Amino acid sequence: MPITEQHVGRSYPATAPYEISRAKIAEFAAALGDADNPAYSGSVPIAPPTFAVLLAAGSWESMFADPELELSLSRTVHADQRFTWQRPLRAGDEVVAQLRIDKVRLRGATAIITIAVDLSSTSGESLCTATSTLMHTAAEAA
Amino acid sequence: MNTSVEVGQLLPGFSVEFTRADLARYAGASTDFNPIHYNDAAAAALGLPGVIAHGMLTMGTALRVVTDWVGDPAKVVNYYVRFTKPVVVPASGWVRVDFGGTVTAVADGVATITIEAACGEAKVLGSATAQVRLD
Repeated sequence: MPITEQHVGRSYPATAPYEISRAKIAEFAAALGDADNPAYSGSVPIAPPTFAVLLAAGSWESMFADPELELSLSRTVHADQRFTWQRPLRAGDEVVAQLRIDKVRLRGATAIITIAVDLSSTSGESLCTATSTLMHTAAEAA
Repeated sequence: MNTSVEVGQLLPGFSVEFTRADLARYAGASTDFNPIHYNDAAAAALGLPGVIAHGMLTMGTALRVVTDWVGDPAKVVNYYVRFTKPVVVPASGWVRVDFGGTVTAVADGVATITIEAACGEAKVLGSATAQVRLD
């Protein structure tokens, strides 16, 4: 049975810790054409705010690997994205991401799924919540 | 800046010319290797007119409207966008996206910025808003 409203509230184990490096921050800032912002370089740079997606996306695999939901990333469209930051991510942070299914609406073969990913440090500090709406089309209709 | 921010104020805009190389670079940086961002056949299989930019590349680039203006990116407290239209990136050459922003609210030391991102006539982000601390 594919994903339904009954899966709202399901959460998955947190990802393995990801240590944010100065090099990855510099690479990400450059990919956004934003290497010149001094906040993203120096001895303890912060990450560009949307760097959080890299960490959040690591947790998406846990949901897509859930056989009960019958989800495939290749049939998924990213419809919207929200980030709320408690503080900026910084070089040296060790971050874990935990995904929870917040809302499911079914419209024929399409499931509209809202997921919330909490990013926190390995010492338990809450850093950011990344909330996404995904439009998923069931395989039968593809 | 915190003494002079007013509703209706326009933030400086800018344009970016996205190429396939930019998509490859963002794929590596973000670790999002979905083939619709580099392979025309994969994009066509999903009914897309061609390879499209990562929505998150557009979202991340658009936030520069706010961070260039406020200076310190640490002041951004939240950010929301809807991905309304794909940005199709040609195999050679580039596609231009125009970015801009307007202050739409100021309260309790926090400014709300509405961000526009347009590819030609198409708005590629909808309801794009960020909130920043003005301290």
